[in-house]
Amino acid sequence: MGDYAIECKNVTYTYPLAENPAIQDLSAGFEKGGFYGIIGENGAGKTTLCVILRGFAPDFYKGELTGQVLVEGKTIPEYKTELAAKIGYVFQNPFNQISGVKETVFEEVSYGLENFGVPVDEIEERVINVMQMTDIEELAYKSPFELSGGQMQRVALASVIVLEPDILIIDEPTSQLDPEGTDSVFRIIRELKEKKKTIILVEHKVDLIAEYADEVLVLKNGKLIAQGKPEDILSDMSLPEQGVALPQVAVLGNMLRQKGFPIDRIPITEKQAAEEFQKAMSRRSGRP
Amino acid sequence: MENNYIEKIQIHRKNRIAGLYPSAKGFIVLAYSISTFILGTFHLTDMRLDLLLIPWFFVIPVLCIISGVLAKSMKAMKAVATVSAIIFAAQLFLIPGGKVLWSFGFLKIYVYGLRSAIRLSFLVLDVAGIFVWLFQTTSNKELSRAMEDSGMNYKAAYVFMSSLQMIDILGKNSKSIMNAQRARGVETEGNLIIRAKAFFPSLVPLILGAIIGSEERVLTLEARGFSMQCQKTHLFKLDHSGLEKPAVILSTLITSALLAGRVIWGIMR
Repeated sequence: MGDYAIECKNVTYTYPLAENPAIQDLSAGFEKGGFYGIIGENGAGKTTLCVILRGFAPDFYKGELTGQVLVEGKTIPEYKTELAAKIGYVFQNPFNQISGVKETVFEEVSYGLENFGVPVDEIEERVINVMQMTDIEELAYKSPFELSGGQMQRVALASVIVLEPDILIIDEPTSQLDPEGTDSVFRIIRELKEKKKTIILVEHKVDLIAEYADEVLVLKNGKLIAQGKPEDILSDMSLPEQGVALPQVAVLGNMLRQKGFPIDRIPITEKQAAEEFQKAMSRRSGRP
Repeated sequence: MENNYIEKIQIHRKNRIAGLYPSAKGFIVLAYSISTFILGTFHLTDMRLDLLLIPWFFVIPVLCIISGVLAKSMKAMKAVATVSAIIFAAQLFLIPGGKVLWSFGFLKIYVYGLRSAIRLSFLVLDVAGIFVWLFQTTSNKELSRAMEDSGMNYKAAYVFMSSLQMIDILGKNSKSIMNAQRARGVETEGNLIIRAKAFFPSLVPLILGAIIGSEERVLTLEARGFSMQCQKTHLFKLDHSGLEKPAVILSTLITSALLAGRVIWGIMR
């Protein structure tokens, strides 16, 4: 058994008034320091799984939960209100992640630390570091409500990262962002991965999941239908039948292979594709 | 490391009246409001008019001048004065009773109408005016911080602060929704009926959006340790101007004097 940051054992969850469970008999382990990508079609239960892992369901959403969710070996109720220090959560919509009581970005990022009772000097040091990391230093005195979607999402990420949680659950952070905003958010996520944080990321942009994730979980109708290394999962040509898009390079690699191109493995990232295509071209031309 | 950021979010008011601690300003507002109601019981002239409410209003511009906020108070004061003028006109012409003081065609001004117009419009002007002074000299975060300092639950202080912030946000959102509705062909400008028709298609998404957004905001707060059971830190510190005690004493004296004056005046009559 691995050293799990979060472990789900036979988790089934039904929302209040719903007839069918949103998550059904799901068992999965998220190892410490791992980067997990959760993919699946709309309504597959990705966000529901995230709110269960964070303890918002059933606590906030009510409903019925069976099975067990363990965070570093302890059940969620054992943490009481202190789960915020352990698990950071970033939501999909950047506009709803502003506290609504702070007048500047600096104060907004500091808000969580104020709630944690961190000393003033330490707050300033940590906030400055995080603002530099997330590239929002120049926004420090702006109102959080006057920012663009990408800037707001970076502020939301900074507000969570500053709490230094061991585990980060990030739910479709780029769904409302332009390519530039998406790149800046993923640059931050990559830095968090380098810091060995446990990251659970829900994302539709599978190209990015392919590039960053250590493991991929595929959900459909609340069930975990596949779990494994990105190269195994995202090169599976039956995945689109489950409502999940594949990386574009994987689709291209498969098409070339079907046309007789000598490709050893289906690439899932641009880097792998360049290597595979170069090898295949060399073989075709007879050069080593 | 220099405390640059934290220093820059502080509010240091040079004017010692504007810089009074918010609870002292709150006391002044309370004392002024009580005094307004006391003055409203002085019925002068044969028509029993509450005429003292009129000069009493001039305390507000004086307060604004000595607080150094007269210029920035003007916009809000104009709005209050407009509402007050509408109330005055409505009461003056619509309330019958007593002797007719003036008539022109179907328009008539009765004694009761004049009495009610002065009482209501100046009560509104005086009480709303003192709140204009309070909000022009006190920022939302000063009020919220003072509330927490006074022992108010942090959740209640949050509700107060976020409600004030939300007024601006909802205002901006409503403009975005209006623009979106206009782009879809909904007429939003024109006479009162056209504007009324545009009201509901704009209001429903605004309210629903706010309700849906509030759910995620609650979870956002939880994710940032809002409910953590510990002593919270406050980066924002409130200053005292040093005039709090004299201000409270003076307000108490004026209100007490007015109350005493009212009692004596009542006995003498």
